[in-house]
Amino acid sequence: MAIESDVVVIGGGLAGATAALSAAREGVHVHLVSANESTLRQASGLIDALGYAVGHAAENDGEDAGAGSGDADAVPGPLADPFAVIEDLPADHPYRVAGADALREGLALFDDAVGDLYRGGHTDRNALVPTTSGRAKPTARYPQSVAPGLASDGRPMLLVGFEADTEFDAPLAAERLSAAGVPFDVSGATVEFAGEYRADAAVTRLAHALERDESAASGRGTTAGEGRTTRQRLADRIRPHLGDAERVGIPAMLGDSHVEEVRADLSERLDAEVFEVPTGPPSLPGIRLEDRLFDALDSAGVSMTTGTPVVDFETGADGRVASVTIDRNGARIPYEAGAFVLATGGLVGKGLDSDRERAHEALFGCHVPQPDDRMAWSAGGAFADHAFARFGVRPDDRMRPLDVEGTPEYANLAAAGGVVGGADVAREKSASGVSLATGLVAGRTAAEEA
Amino acid sequence: MSDRTEVLVVGGGSTGCGVARDLATRGVDVTLVEQGNLTHGTTGRMHGLLHSGGRYAVSDQASARECIEENRVLRDIASHCVELTGGLFVKRPEDTEEYFQEKLAGCRECGIPAEVLSAEEAREVEPFLAGDIDKAIRVPDGAVDPFRLCVANAADAEAHGARIETHSPVTDVLVEDGAVVGVEVTHESGAGKRVHGVEGGTEEIYADHVVNATGAWAGRIGDMAGVDVEVRPSKGVMTVMNVREVDTVVNRCKPKGDADIVVPHETTCILGTTDEEVEDPEDYPEEAWEVDLMIEELSKLVPMLDGARTIRSYWGVRPLYEPPGTGTEDPTDITRDFFLLDHAERDDLPGMTSIVGGKFTTYRLMAEQISDHVCDLLGVEAACTTADRPLPGSEDFSVLRDYMDEFGLRSPVGRRSVQRLGSRADEVLDTDEPNPVVCQCEAVTRAELRDAIGGSGSDLNAVRLRTRASMGNCQGGFCAHRMANELHAGGDFDRPTVDAALDELWQERWKGQRHALWGEQLSQAMLNHLLHATTFNRDGAAPEDFAAFDAGECGAGSADRDAADASGDADDAGDTSERTAADGGVSARDCGGDRGGD
Amino acid sequence: MSDTHDTHDTHEDCGCDGEANRSAATDGGAVAGSTAGSEDEFEPVDVFEGSEMDLRPGADSCYKCTSCDTSCPVAEVDDSFPGPKFQGPEQWRLKRKEDTEIDDSITGCSNCMRCDGACPSDVPLSQMHNTARAEYVENQQPTLSREYLRNRILANYGTLAALGSKVPRLTNAIMGNSLVQKVNETVLGITAERDFPEFADQTFRGWWKERGGPKVESEEKRVAYFHGDYANYNTVEVAKALVRVYEAFGYEIAVPDQRCSGTPMFANGMLDDARRSAAVNVESLGEMIEQGYDVVASCTSCSMALRQEYPELFDFEGTETVAANTYDALEYLLINENVIDPLSEVDAADHDIPDFAYHAPCHSRNQGLDRQAVELFRYLDGVDVADVGDSCSGISGTYGWKEEKYEYSMEIGEEMFEHMEHANGETGMTECPTCSMQMEHGTGYEIDHPLQVLEAALVDTDVTI
Repeated sequence: MAIESDVVVIGGGLAGATAALSAAREGVHVHLVSANESTLRQASGLIDALGYAVGHAAENDGEDAGAGSGDADAVPGPLADPFAVIEDLPADHPYRVAGADALREGLALFDDAVGDLYRGGHTDRNALVPTTSGRAKPTARYPQSVAPGLASDGRPMLLVGFEADTEFDAPLAAERLSAAGVPFDVSGATVEFAGEYRADAAVTRLAHALERDESAASGRGTTAGEGRTTRQRLADRIRPHLGDAERVGIPAMLGDSHVEEVRADLSERLDAEVFEVPTGPPSLPGIRLEDRLFDALDSAGVSMTTGTPVVDFETGADGRVASVTIDRNGARIPYEAGAFVLATGGLVGKGLDSDRERAHEALFGCHVPQPDDRMAWSAGGAFADHAFARFGVRPDDRMRPLDVEGTPEYANLAAAGGVVGGADVAREKSASGVSLATGLVAGRTAAEEA
Repeated sequence: MSDRTEVLVVGGGSTGCGVARDLATRGVDVTLVEQGNLTHGTTGRMHGLLHSGGRYAVSDQASARECIEENRVLRDIASHCVELTGGLFVKRPEDTEEYFQEKLAGCRECGIPAEVLSAEEAREVEPFLAGDIDKAIRVPDGAVDPFRLCVANAADAEAHGARIETHSPVTDVLVEDGAVVGVEVTHESGAGKRVHGVEGGTEEIYADHVVNATGAWAGRIGDMAGVDVEVRPSKGVMTVMNVREVDTVVNRCKPKGDADIVVPHETTCILGTTDEEVEDPEDYPEEAWEVDLMIEELSKLVPMLDGARTIRSYWGVRPLYEPPGTGTEDPTDITRDFFLLDHAERDDLPGMTSIVGGKFTTYRLMAEQISDHVCDLLGVEAACTTADRPLPGSEDFSVLRDYMDEFGLRSPVGRRSVQRLGSRADEVLDTDEPNPVVCQCEAVTRAELRDAIGGSGSDLNAVRLRTRASMGNCQGGFCAHRMANELHAGGDFDRPTVDAALDELWQERWKGQRHALWGEQLSQAMLNHLLHATTFNRDGAAPEDFAAFDAGECGAGSADRDAADASGDADDAGDTSERTAADGGVSARDCGGDRGGD
Repeated sequence: MSDTHDTHDTHEDCGCDGEANRSAATDGGAVAGSTAGSEDEFEPVDVFEGSEMDLRPGADSCYKCTSCDTSCPVAEVDDSFPGPKFQGPEQWRLKRKEDTEIDDSITGCSNCMRCDGACPSDVPLSQMHNTARAEYVENQQPTLSREYLRNRILANYGTLAALGSKVPRLTNAIMGNSLVQKVNETVLGITAERDFPEFADQTFRGWWKERGGPKVESEEKRVAYFHGDYANYNTVEVAKALVRVYEAFGYEIAVPDQRCSGTPMFANGMLDDARRSAAVNVESLGEMIEQGYDVVASCTSCSMALRQEYPELFDFEGTETVAANTYDALEYLLINENVIDPLSEVDAADHDIPDFAYHAPCHSRNQGLDRQAVELFRYLDGVDVADVGDSCSGISGTYGWKEEKYEYSMEIGEEMFEHMEHANGETGMTECPTCSMQMEHGTGYEIDHPLQVLEAALVDTDVTI
């Protein structure tokens, strides 16, 4: 027997969640199946739409493009309005295929799903968020905890890093921001994290200490600030560095689910607004987003199975996908549905796999355009225009992956997110937006086909 | 600016560093100049094999004898650079019995301990060997870290008064009255501690004698001096695996051929190699088929290599030399012996000696012979002591100590640190400051990085070579920026220097990684790309007009608030008020008003 | 303990019930040569002296994303535990052949296996941990140490239970004595904060025998029940619920010979003990599968062991077959039967079924089963089943019983306790016996198994199945 539903969405990242919510909105029963926990855990938690209009070199010129670190592909400054340039993007860019409205509606669906966890929905314009490496990054939506740190806000800023945290050098980040010409004074300070944990304590450990506001007793042997809580001691350590700063940026580890409480408490103690600086993995904002999307899916009545890879599929006599098969340690269980969404991710999420000969879509074997010569998959400059960064299936305007002839591989299979190619989402800063736009359309298509 | 020294050594590879150490420890005043980092040339691009001599036991027994002798010396004087892995010459069914016997006999003739193992016995030593191999010969091959060895030689030379200048290419050889009297170098950075982008200008260094130890580049120095040194550079590819699939050097037991050796190296294995003559030691094609050949051929010995992850490939150029008129066609047939070209005898140009050919394992012996020659010329009588004097890091060194508890490190981190630092572990790791791991793949702590920064300045590639930071499976994706942070926080270098160093390291890591971009390493590359471009925005240009962007729902405190509002449209304003109303107190805090909790 | 009353001739190292068939309970079982791995997959082999397997190539799959670290409940509360990425791929990759020392932080891992589910790249994390832990215990933990003795006792719960359940009331009285608890803590390092689970008056196997075995016969629908130690000795009602529910759906049930699944042994690095148990289980269950039975387990840690840990750690003949034919009991019903329609006919109020606060055990999460109970009981009218979040309960089998881990265990569980307090229901629900202990310990709630809820709703009611 099989597990039955109207739509099966394969993949539990941002694109899969969006597709599932989008399909559920159309009134169908959706089953979301994912191989592992969401790769949102690796993402900074920012929701980028389109930050830069990067060039789009032809498919086969990877070899010689850009000898230096991207010098040859000079890209103009960040886009204030991501929607303004969508019409100028290359024809196979997912935004061109899905349309600007898909991005707009995808962002609206996101806003609806995450509620007050995120900000930025009040305007079409991008915001500039300081990153841990001290760059202002254009993004469309940002966690509420990040909001006071925006680079277009003129209030003086202090960035705070921790001695044992090698990822974030706050003074260096402050210098970089200043050098980039931010319209405010910014300085950086490195302090000891309150609590004296081992130098290799997990970020989640520090977040937990802040969330629970642990007393000194539950931390490890401590001398300074005996009897005071983690937050009290942290505030005490930051205070001498405050100067005129009206806002204080700390790496995004201010608790897990109670970030606003932690932030408010620290803000009050410092008499300055405390905000989070998004980090590389591990990413607490990514985890919070994952949790919030889970709640949204639960509320939408979406069934979820996580931890089981889809390993196979079957087609019916009509050439449509009839079922996919999950593997549970050797037990193979079919999931039947009227339509399917492929949201298995790109090269990182393993929706795309590759060997020395070619890159391929890992589950259905959908067509993935690519240069024949492996050396042309990448370019010489580290940040140059890499063909591999644009690997993925090419869909029609209903997000159905197309075969080499340009016809849909399967009438009832739509794709969303990283498995869709055509854009270097890293250099564009468009990964989340592409997931939202394609997820929205793919979910609708699946609901229609179900 | 000019300086005077007794002997000027050009080239900071194994030969140059070895000569500098040898002469310095004999009390000679030495200056060494190198165009890049130490090991910038061939030394940094070898496969890390410490020869037992077995590879030369049939074709070149003189070399084989030297190898086994030097192999034993290095185990003593460079214990922290050498790993006694042992080696196997593995015979596959298609390899001839005749050659196997010749190899065995050759080893024995040259004094190389050699033992025949059955296929089962060989697989007990190396479980991942192919199921269909016939048998193997076990020899005392080893692995050596060329970077560490050169750095230790240079450090010992410095300790004995030598001056070591890296990033100082020779731009001219000074010839006066028909004799070489010194060189002109261009310091690409300030002398001494290197700082990026600070031009140090040129310097003429006068010397009683110049040693041209530039290997594949020897012809260029020769040209500057007006003599012909015809090196025949031959390239070879090395493919780096992510893990140690083998812990023993695995050689194919056949006469010659490409792709016949796997060397365990630190945390990785290195597959090698090819042998193909090139015109220019700095400009030659690096092609995908060469990497494919390594994997396909060597997986006949170790099948799991096919499908295993490689993290990068690199090419090295051998400085092969043969006396004019020998005319060997196949570069694999050119002798691996070294030649000392006394230009006074050969070209009637006194004041300079060139060293060409040779092999890494016997670098010390070569250095001794060259130093003897130079000392003869200079009338120095002191004898060579390098065979008995341990290198810094290999003195009085016991790996059995419990370093982990001592330094508060996790046991594998402590163990790897000590394997790299040897007897220097105490002075480097003993710190009261927090000592987090910066490079997790290779277990490199902040203390070790800061020690390396102290030794090599702001050049993160030099720091990398000393520590192995960024040389693991993420190829710097998760630590290159952290290393740059250490330059800033620990090395006190300024932002432009740090940024330039990071870009240079990142580009260097990328160059080699491009040859491994499929499967897991392509996933890694994409994750690195997302991390550095998306999360950090290292690639994106800075905005010109900050006011054109969203300043928050209220834009509170924005210096350019009016401008920001002016560029927004009416709909935005409407959305804002709606949102604010719905969210109540939360937005008030966002706007910097009420800082109370929710 | 009640040794003076013992008349039971225990088999050496045997955790099985004395009523089990003696002939099958001899040690060892069929330990055949290794099964062939799939052609292109890496097959771990012995490399390190005195160790189990070389898992260094498993590090090839790691791209350092740290998703595993963020999923680790121990690293979140205990900074002396560096997290699964370090314990797994990093530590393995840093090894040379002669490097056998394992960092002692491996003893901090609770074996919840959540890192497996977090990894987007199939790094064999828990396999790496299990193997490293076994090496640590073998080479670095003195067998006379208090930790070793304590862990050995905790790991071999079934052996003790076999003794204790002979005289359940006396054992319960002794174990409930606070003085005994104090002695356990000081001498053995078993926390005095927890009450030992009470033994049922009659074991499940005793009940099954007395009942005369299966009441339903079927050629097509046959399941072999792996009850594990806990449902046999302690929560017998869960095992009985399984029997009644499955029989209601027309299944013929067999209760084959079995020993402890090995879960607590893996968690304590007692791989030799686990191997002995596994050999018996694989042989016994393998025979049932040959006769057309599928294996079902009511404890998700048991099904996890049979499905994942056995194939990763052992190579008995039939290990893969057992793994591929083993299911969680609820999962199996949902795949093969229409449970939803009959359940939709039921009104919970008619059967005194309360609202529930449901916790998905880590080992069910790992099998992709964390949502099945919540999503199923949506169809049961009048019952609110609240998912109390994705945190670990904190007990992780034997972890929370260790005196030095007790505080961490409760700190990990804190989030779950809070969510339980917030949920409407004042009864807990979970599939895992030790999670159930922790839920009860932290909130004082009574805890049911989903099968017990199904039993209340569907068995001996007027619903048509």
